[in-house]
Amino acid sequence: MEMLIYIILSVLLAIAPLAVRSERATHLIAGAFFLVQVAAIALVIAFDRIDCVMLSIFRADTLAVLFHILMTLVLGFTLIHSSSYLKAEDISTRSYKAYYTLLMLLAVAISCVYYSDNVAMTWVFLEATTICSAGIIYHREFRQSLEATWKYIFVCSTGIAMAYLGILLLSTVAHHGALDYAALKEVIAEGNPLYLKVAFLLIVVGYSCKMEIFPLYTVGVDANYAAIAPASAFISTALVNAGFLSIYRIYDLYAASGEVFEWARHLLILIGILSLAVGAMFLRRTNNYKRFLSYSTVENMGIVAIGLGIGGIALWAAVFHVVCHTLVKSSMFYQVGIVRHIYDSYSINRIGNYMNINKVGAIGIIVGTLVLLAFPPSPLFVSEVMIFSEIVTVGSWWLLALMLVLMCVVIYSIWSRTLRLGYHSNQDELHLSAVNRRLSYSAAILLIVAIVLGIWQPQVLKEAIDIIVNIG
Amino acid sequence: MILSLIILYTLTLIYLSIADRFRNHASILAIQGLLLFGIAIARMHEFHPVEMSFIIVETFVFKAIVIPAILLHVIHKTKINRIHSSSSQFGALTMSIVALVASCTITYYMADSRTDMIFFGVALYALLSGLILIVMRKRIFAHLVGFLVIENGVFLFSMAIGVELPMLINLAIMLDILISILILGMFLRRLDNDIHTDETDALTSIKD
Repeated sequence: MEMLIYIILSVLLAIAPLAVRSERATHLIAGAFFLVQVAAIALVIAFDRIDCVMLSIFRADTLAVLFHILMTLVLGFTLIHSSSYLKAEDISTRSYKAYYTLLMLLAVAISCVYYSDNVAMTWVFLEATTICSAGIIYHREFRQSLEATWKYIFVCSTGIAMAYLGILLLSTVAHHGALDYAALKEVIAEGNPLYLKVAFLLIVVGYSCKMEIFPLYTVGVDANYAAIAPASAFISTALVNAGFLSIYRIYDLYAASGEVFEWARHLLILIGILSLAVGAMFLRRTNNYKRFLSYSTVENMGIVAIGLGIGGIALWAAVFHVVCHTLVKSSMFYQVGIVRHIYDSYSINRIGNYMNINKVGAIGIIVGTLVLLAFPPSPLFVSEVMIFSEIVTVGSWWLLALMLVLMCVVIYSIWSRTLRLGYHSNQDELHLSAVNRRLSYSAAILLIVAIVLGIWQPQVLKEAIDIIVNIG
Repeated sequence: MILSLIILYTLTLIYLSIADRFRNHASILAIQGLLLFGIAIARMHEFHPVEMSFIIVETFVFKAIVIPAILLHVIHKTKINRIHSSSSQFGALTMSIVALVASCTITYYMADSRTDMIFFGVALYALLSGLILIVMRKRIFAHLVGFLVIENGVFLFSMAIGVELPMLINLAIMLDILISILILGMFLRRLDNDIHTDETDALTSIKD
């Protein structure tokens, strides 16, 4: 019942901006929506509703609650940054309200993915995220956003259809159509191994468009390019986390499948390596800061996939990596949004001298880059060292060598581009806009939280991840 | 009865590979919807009455009427008529036949006692046919048709393995697919308005 109230209330608030006239009223509704998310999390924790099944298709397990907390945190910052960004864009009130409605509907769909306890319902809500994201990507209504939206809907829908096929194959093991994860876990070992392997392949390939890993990572990159920067921050974190969670739940399910699980882990390592390679290659090639950050997401999610594939302590590290990546990447997108506001461009080759124009923002980007590159005290350093140590433990030296080579390329590409923005002179005459340093400071908050997590991980977070990775 | 419907369905897939007018594509999809409806009726004894009524809505109303109507509306508004003139019908037919042979071979090795081999094979062929349409055709409309052929293949696949999903889930899945198609149709019209072509070559402004 609580879940039904939460969904109805959230959806009503999400569509409410369409019924009001002013932007101020839209802000108030967005604020109320944010409070509903906070209240939902608080109620689940305060009334100890963890692991309770709701409406027979939802379950508030630790992973869902953790990701909902992260989503709400990012949502709060996204709402604030979106307001500034859209005011600078000088768009119509109608368009302004539509953006907020779509953003909030996307948040509802994502939270439903998090809480879904049924393989098919996870699929349904992931498809719903495609529809909401499409509106956000198209929001600015220029030619490239139209192209990005078409590609996004088409590739996601085709990918998700593939995933549905995988779910149908997986459901051959289900008794009386019971597709909740716990029921499937009990019977998965009885399944036809060939069916299970094909099902895993199809589901991972289908969901790769959401997690932004190989092979369908391209749509996510294009989507982030076309959407406004604060929305990109939300898509690159909350939606990517939804993709990760969907794959993780299937991974958790397969842990009980015996020999097929080994095969699934090898597949994840292969996908992880290919994602890392794609990220390394395109980080060298791209000339747009937003695409640049998107390829960094592909690279980081590749590392996460490798962590899942290796297992053991690397599994813990993979979940921790996703948590910290959410904080760092959203902060970086907000900072890059401010860069766009000042230069009216994301072009890597054109813009520079940011340190003299907006010192706070430049430091935020440079420190954020160092954290993203996993330099201590970055939390990503902690997770990557754990993944490397597990790789050494299992004796996959070739994998370690390959990862290190690819990560060297990534470090060189990211660092050289960031220094260019900070210190190189502008390539041609630019009409710079006024700097809003408050936004730069607010974006830095998430980065500071991430750095704190690199130095000290709270016991509650450690215990939560311990519960999440308790597989088998 | 079912076998003849399945054979007809396979023939529509072969014809789809060589059809060069989009009106024909929309008509074939309508026929496929009717054939799926016929197959569902022929297997009526296997379904619960509520589930059967749902399948009738899904196949007869949506697949045979609503979706082809949306496609015809898009064709009418955008004046998109034929697939690209340089597209080779012989190449497409060859690919389709290869896909058919590949589907038969894969089915032989994959299908087990719990699955219906004929349904499984034709569903796989439908999936491959959809993918071939998407990969080989340049026009965006053909990609949309390819996506719908895949969706029909997925429907056949669910029949092949005899999965009984709860009604709520079936309904949510059907609504998701319908909304996706509506949105794709809407954006296809916008593409035609804004870019004045519906060829994928025109969709290359976003790159690194």
